[in-house]
Amino acid sequence: MVSRHPWLAEGILEYIRRYELLSRGAESELYLGSFLGQRAVFKLRRRKKYMDPMLDRKIRRTRTFKEARIILQAYKGGVATPRLFGFYPSLYLLVLEYIPGKRMKDVIEESSDLELITLLSRNAGYQLGQVHSSGIVHGDTTTSNFILYRDQLYVIDFGLSDSSKNVEDRAVDLHLFRRSIESTHAKYSDIMYSSFLEGYRENMGSIAEEIIEKAEEIRLRGRYIEERRTVWRDI
Amino acid sequence: MENAATQNSSRNDNEIIILGIESTAHTFGVGIVSSSKPFILADIRKRYTPEKGGILPREVAQYFSTVASDAIHEAFRVSGFSPKDLSAVAVALGPGMGPALRVGATVARALSSHLKIPLIAVNHAIAHIEIARFLTGLKDPIVLYVSGGNTTVTAYNHGTYRVFGETLDIALGNLQDTFAREVGLAPPYIRNGRHVIDHCADNGSFLEDLPYVVKGQDVSFSGLLTAAVRKYEKSPNLLPDICYTLREIAYSSVVEVTERGLAHLGKKQVIVTGGVAASDFLNEKVEIMAKSHDASFIRIPKKYAGDNGVMIALTGLLMYRHGIGFIEPSKAFIKQRWRLDKVPVPWYPDTLG
Repeated sequence: MVSRHPWLAEGILEYIRRYELLSRGAESELYLGSFLGQRAVFKLRRRKKYMDPMLDRKIRRTRTFKEARIILQAYKGGVATPRLFGFYPSLYLLVLEYIPGKRMKDVIEESSDLELITLLSRNAGYQLGQVHSSGIVHGDTTTSNFILYRDQLYVIDFGLSDSSKNVEDRAVDLHLFRRSIESTHAKYSDIMYSSFLEGYRENMGSIAEEIIEKAEEIRLRGRYIEERRTVWRDI
Repeated sequence: MENAATQNSSRNDNEIIILGIESTAHTFGVGIVSSSKPFILADIRKRYTPEKGGILPREVAQYFSTVASDAIHEAFRVSGFSPKDLSAVAVALGPGMGPALRVGATVARALSSHLKIPLIAVNHAIAHIEIARFLTGLKDPIVLYVSGGNTTVTAYNHGTYRVFGETLDIALGNLQDTFAREVGLAPPYIRNGRHVIDHCADNGSFLEDLPYVVKGQDVSFSGLLTAAVRKYEKSPNLLPDICYTLREIAYSSVVEVTERGLAHLGKKQVIVTGGVAASDFLNEKVEIMAKSHDASFIRIPKKYAGDNGVMIALTGLLMYRHGIGFIEPSKAFIKQRWRLDKVPVPWYPDTLG
């Protein structure tokens, strides 16, 4: 690797931080700037000050590398996701295509239109199917990670993703989505999950069933699930 | 406590007084809580400590049945109230270890039948959350609940607490205790108020090759435990480094999941509860995390981090006020796997006081 003056990295970050801050998530800051003349999102993984610096760097490095690789794989696989413009691992920085949409989470919270909610959930299921068909598992399937722009739902944030076609890994994605809607959109969670599965089946075809069944099994592995031990009757 | 004993020779008409019994794990706790100040009237605890190995449910139950009667008597004496002043008895029916739970349930059923007062079934996890909300005054938080048997990130939504993330295998407390036991650091698990892992980690530094596992909103510790024990077997001289790294990874991962919950659910308050909430190290991490998101964080007093009867009485009181959770003594079965998201909490975001 080419060595570099530390002030250069700091200078670049300083420059990016002058851009408009779009959002600050759990682990990264998203800035809206321009890249080779195009509007672009600068995704900067922030330092987690509560972690040992070595652990923090290890996690940020791994996730930045992985995310870049997975975005390319997803794009090739036909997943609706922002394109990758640039990749600067030493800065823990990705530059991505800007999609001026709204988070699915916010759309649902602001709407009480059941038809729209059902449609979005089905679409999310379909898109996750596309992610899985591309040989990827997402790893963080919450409604914050789907963006609605015009009539298209985009999948974002591949920071916890992996290449895998394993049934269990795929099932974890379904399980995470279900739990996330139960904690965020409790009122609609049943209808949302069934529509989500419908969309997932549409994309994945007959292999979907085995994955859906596995997701149910994973759910029952959580702490203190009553259905889990039917042979025991508590007294 | 002495104040309470002299002032409260009998209760006034509107005052609600609840006796709560906790016996889900190692502590037999009896608490008496009132709806008026100073709220907490008695807090008696009898803790079972094994001489070697881990906690055996049968032995705990045996110990509980020998101390139960004394604990109840002490609680009445300290509070200055008599059994006839009670509005109801609350008991933690789960989740927890069967044999231990049965002792508390038996005592509570007997008290309720004998005194002819209602029996209220309290969920132990809900009680940990309620005592933390009450003591910190943070009424609408994201909650990190960590103890020997639980690792859960939860927040209220639409009628109940919802599980945002949890461990997919063993709990954080269990990870620490098991590792300490495997490498010969424990028992005892606590020395001078700190876990033996903390003492061991004091002179350690970070090792690169132990696994950090966060899957979406969930954590997993079994791989970390195995890797840490193997590392120790290969190079015992690295023990301080292994302790440091194990603790760093485990605590960071639960804080990261809490952080994700905070960002995703848009909460502005954070609390930590359960036995591991007594850890300074964990509280410091959570405090730094909360600050970076402009969220409020208040530590709960160490004393109320672990299991106690007060939290059961307090939750019982909130339920009593809303007329829920009443159960016939003959039907008060324990529920070893009682999930917190199955319990309605109609008082939320209110608490006592």
